[in-house]
Amino acid sequence: MEEMVLKLKKKHRIAVAWAQDSNTIGAINEAVKTGFIEAKLIGKSSEIIKICKDGSIDDRLFDIIDSDNETDASEEAVRLVRCDDADVVMKGLVGTDRFLKAVMDKEKGLMIPNAVLSYVAAMEIPDYHKLLFITDPAVIPFPDLDQKIAMAGYAIEMASRFGIEKPRIALIGASEKMSRHFNNSVDYAIMCKMADRGQIKNCIMDGPLDIFLACDNRSGEIKGVTSPVNGDADILLFPSLEACNPFYKGLMLFGKGELAGLIRGTEKPVIVMSRSESEKSKYYCIALSCLMA
Amino acid sequence: MVLKTLNDLKRLVEGGPRKKLVLAAAQDQQAMGAVVRAWKDNIIEPILIGDKEDIQNICASNNYDIADLRIIHEPEIDKSVEMAVRMVSSKQADILMKGKVGSSTLLRCVLNKEWGLRTGNLLSHFALFEVETYHKVIAVTDVAMNIAPNLKDKIAIVNNAVTCLNRLGYTMPKVAVLGAVEMVNENMEATLDAALLSKMNQRDQIKNCIIDGPLAFDNAISLESAKHKGIRSEVAGDTDLLLMPDIEVGNVLYKSLVFFAKAKVASIILGAMVPIVLTSRSDSEQAKFDSILLAAAASKW
Repeated sequence: MEEMVLKLKKKHRIAVAWAQDSNTIGAINEAVKTGFIEAKLIGKSSEIIKICKDGSIDDRLFDIIDSDNETDASEEAVRLVRCDDADVVMKGLVGTDRFLKAVMDKEKGLMIPNAVLSYVAAMEIPDYHKLLFITDPAVIPFPDLDQKIAMAGYAIEMASRFGIEKPRIALIGASEKMSRHFNNSVDYAIMCKMADRGQIKNCIMDGPLDIFLACDNRSGEIKGVTSPVNGDADILLFPSLEACNPFYKGLMLFGKGELAGLIRGTEKPVIVMSRSESEKSKYYCIALSCLMA
Repeated sequence: MVLKTLNDLKRLVEGGPRKKLVLAAAQDQQAMGAVVRAWKDNIIEPILIGDKEDIQNICASNNYDIADLRIIHEPEIDKSVEMAVRMVSSKQADILMKGKVGSSTLLRCVLNKEWGLRTGNLLSHFALFEVETYHKVIAVTDVAMNIAPNLKDKIAIVNNAVTCLNRLGYTMPKVAVLGAVEMVNENMEATLDAALLSKMNQRDQIKNCIIDGPLAFDNAISLESAKHKGIRSEVAGDTDLLLMPDIEVGNVLYKSLVFFAKAKVASIILGAMVPIVLTSRSDSEQAKFDSILLAAAASKW
């Protein structure tokens, strides 16, 4: 994650919707001081100033825009990005639903027409030898084939921003076998053939694979499975939100993982993190959004 | 080992024990012609079941010397078929062949639950073509039996064909799953099944062969065409077996090869206890002979 921060060359402008949240302001402050962003904080200015004071943060580092309700704050943050006064929009204390409503508004929002909206995250896991990208822990509950193809595309694109030209992407299942009982294995076989035929580009794809076969190079030998991913996955594509979400939370809680994620399918980067996320995670998310901007 | 011509099948049966072929409702001129020829060539040992008088008349008018042949008199067609099938299921014969009887009657007996030839596998049609314009013989399945196979059926059809090809000496036959295009297209079911079959093969869920698909006909049989399209495939251009998406495609290909390309063809039914020679009346005597040869080579006993 720190290497990612070092990659950032250009300063990006971030608009934070309903910004009066100490974690968010702490992360923004770090990013401003490190030097890769300028921030516009939209929200109750008195509260923002108070949080800064309590945290010994210099509020003159930010452009504070007063707003007295979360809907207006969200719409204003999105508007700033649309009219190119900001490069990234970030959710502050506002509820995710209300924030995404502003992002997804057909006329005034940030959606790419007809694009699949999904979520890709980069994880730093001490016991894995490189960053691991995962999708989708947050947006699509049960992705169909087209959505899975879009998810793979977003993850491949994100990996490429990290300099990984042909990421190894593992399509995750409970086993490596094809089975009628697991609909996802059917989608996976189709996707692999599409990758074979160049219909999904710039990746080495295999699936279904379980997480051992995806991320542990001894497993293939033990199980007698040859896979081009070969236990060296860059990307894990999960069959459902309910599989992916506990995977990352488990790693954060028990495996000392760090996560930075972004919504994909929008014209400009959109940062949505849960309010309980740590300041550090938020900081990495901000850095990731700049990398993707 | 690869077969260049159908005649190469002879090498597979030479030296081995002669396979016993039982011809059901044997009073059929063309079937008899092929059987007698295969007998004279030491490929099989025939057992003829049918109307003895009719059989003898056919032989007399064609100058077949059948003095040493075993003939079982049973003028009733249904009974002669049942007797033939029972001989096979009691291991007294290695190959079943259809004479003057409808295919449906014969297959009904084959599928009889008590004394038939069921193995639990799907029955499927397997054809071997010798075409001048291809560098070896090419197997095609299923062009005559299964109408619109689903994925499960296709797996069974491939397994039948691969087992047969393994017996013919192909240790790892190259299987092309045919589509109209080599790309995966969600609107073309055949291309989706092809992707699944490929993956199942990679995962060793379909063994003893290399499967790739979808492949369009041209990239399946022409390396140049596959290269032109940038397809990386072990199968493309060197296919041993073509899996058809359905009977309509298969049947048209079969007949195009025979009528336009003047291909020689041998065909059998697989999936029963033994290979079944079930050629149609429109097949030439040569095709019937080659089918007997194929059945003998593919027979495991």
